[in-house]
Amino acid sequence: MPSDLNPAERLLNLVIALVNTNAAMTKQQVRTAVAGYADAPSDEAFERMFERDKDMLRALGVPVVTVGTGGHTDELGYRIDQDAYALPPIDLTPAELGVLSLAAQFWQDKTLQTDITRAMVKLRAAGAGDPSVDALAGLAPSVRAVGDAYGPLMEAIEARRAVRFAYRAAYNGAVLTRHVEPWRIAARDGGWYLMAFDRDRQAPRVFRLSRIESRVRVTGPAGAYDIPDVDTDVMLGKAHGEVRQAVVAVRPERASALRARGKPVPDGERQAWLARLPADGGADGSTPTGWDVLEVPFRSVTGMASEAAGYGAAVVVLEPAPVREETVRRLRAAAALGGARG
Amino acid sequence: MAERADDRLLRLLGIVAYLDGAGPVPVEELARRFGTTPAQIQKDVDALWVSGTPGYWPDDLIDFDAASIDRGVVHLTEARGMTRPLRLGTREAVALVAALRAMKATGAVQADPARSAVVESALGKLTDATGEAANAVDVRLAPGGDRQVVSVLAAALAAGHRLRIRYVSSSDVVSEREVDPQRLHTQDEFAYLAAWCYRAGAPRTFRVDRILDAVETDVPVQEHPGQQAEIDFAALFAGGSSPLATIRFAPRARWFAEEVPVESVRNLPDGDFEVTLRVTNPGWLRSTLIQLAPYVRAVAPSALAEDVAGAARAALAVYEAAGDGPGATDVTEVAGASGAAFSPDRH
Repeated sequence: MPSDLNPAERLLNLVIALVNTNAAMTKQQVRTAVAGYADAPSDEAFERMFERDKDMLRALGVPVVTVGTGGHTDELGYRIDQDAYALPPIDLTPAELGVLSLAAQFWQDKTLQTDITRAMVKLRAAGAGDPSVDALAGLAPSVRAVGDAYGPLMEAIEARRAVRFAYRAAYNGAVLTRHVEPWRIAARDGGWYLMAFDRDRQAPRVFRLSRIESRVRVTGPAGAYDIPDVDTDVMLGKAHGEVRQAVVAVRPERASALRARGKPVPDGERQAWLARLPADGGADGSTPTGWDVLEVPFRSVTGMASEAAGYGAAVVVLEPAPVREETVRRLRAAAALGGARG
Repeated sequence: MAERADDRLLRLLGIVAYLDGAGPVPVEELARRFGTTPAQIQKDVDALWVSGTPGYWPDDLIDFDAASIDRGVVHLTEARGMTRPLRLGTREAVALVAALRAMKATGAVQADPARSAVVESALGKLTDATGEAANAVDVRLAPGGDRQVVSVLAAALAAGHRLRIRYVSSSDVVSEREVDPQRLHTQDEFAYLAAWCYRAGAPRTFRVDRILDAVETDVPVQEHPGQQAEIDFAALFAGGSSPLATIRFAPRARWFAEEVPVESVRNLPDGDFEVTLRVTNPGWLRSTLIQLAPYVRAVAPSALAEDVAGAARAALAVYEAAGDGPGATDVTEVAGASGAAFSPDRH
């Protein structure tokens, strides 16, 4: 046999040997019989090589199981149980495979791309036909990169191990080391979050991944905790309150994005709302013109106020009072940014 | 860059398992299926050919029909028991299932029952095959705009028809355009339509929630020079040589640094932070700084600060004329009073 096998070919021969062995192979048998291992220069080098190869196979979903060889020695044997690693029959149609191919483009992170590419290689090996992308022509969903924290956090969630990292608090900007038990990684509204049990606070907490300022270290033993069945949106506080209506006056042709969500107030109420606005150009005290009055649905007072303030003088909030107050607060703060204060 | 050993091993095992079920397959087809080159498939076959069970006598080895290989066809004759495709690992299943669940919930998929059905069935088969539900990762993308608009966009994309749209820019300017739709890209908090815009005579990217109205015409889309296959988000946000602005924020506005493409972020000792960004869209920046004003500590250059303050003062003038008195510091009291005094009688 060639002695200069590259690692992939050595691994291939190891898998074939351990699948085909009658009972199990001892380490010594692997070293002497399996192509690629004989050239290990020392016992230590062989041990390292074999351990690394076992880890790599486990990561690929090919677990090497350890069994007693029986008899007189306490030496361990190794084999691969094919039933444990085989993919159950999965009969994908071309359209479904097309959907999966599109899913493969979903992730921006290299680690996730690697995971999904491997999944696709396995599924393609299962004999599925050629993908047809017709069903989803022109669609391209994707999510922004999770970042480096993904790898260790997934490892921790899989093994139920705790992690620690340095985290910048949003309310005062201080950076502290946090010790948490990771439950789930979630993406909402363009942000990535970790849902976890905070060991320091002894309570569930949500962390924004972009505020993690160090590497995530996986610490402590496996199986250290259970992951409860939590609702992502409840935990992230995105289960918003009820929808309410704001009434806003809008300059003609302006704030079209706001108009698209709202609808004009009934004709009978329009005049009463307009009476609350200053008369245009100081005319003869008649009701102001040059405004449309809309009802716009909103959930968050600060969100609605922020949007309205962003339109400057093109939008005036009439109701409800908390939205109006919050809008005015933002405008006052913005006015104070200029040099000529007052 | 050399291929990683684990990725190559996966393909080597995949090729054997696939060929065992598929029979003779041309090299090109195999390359396409496993996303590699015909030359690499040849190397893979050469490696497989000398691999097998210990002993490595001819009968121990994976074998191919040599005459077929010469004709460019890979014909497996001995698999040495490696006939079963590998199951998906937890991480692989998580990556696929989370992506499919997120796709299922996008407006563009929901708008079309046929699409929903195929995503649903793919998801079902996958979760059957992977066993446990992969809950470790939960992604939800933007709803992606008005349902009516999204279904028109999706229909036009599928049929390859030109669209007539009414669009409001981030600077609040409305325009009517005819566009050849190319791709509907749902990314995080927004969905984007990539299209050839006849008004601009160039490729343009439109945010779907800013498309006020869309009508599918019966004109087929055309080929356009210089049209890109992918949306280049970096280019979309890149500032190029636009002027720089520097803004100091209180910690509560941290999301600005996280979600807006900025040139640099500097964390200050007291927890404040300072971002530098290129001003590509002054209207958008003015509007955003007013929205965030309670958390803005300083803006440079001063012309930008003055621009923001001026827009805010113009708006305050309207509120003040309407009863929210000038100079009031206790906003709650003032606005509360005006709210009570002016509430129209509603039924």
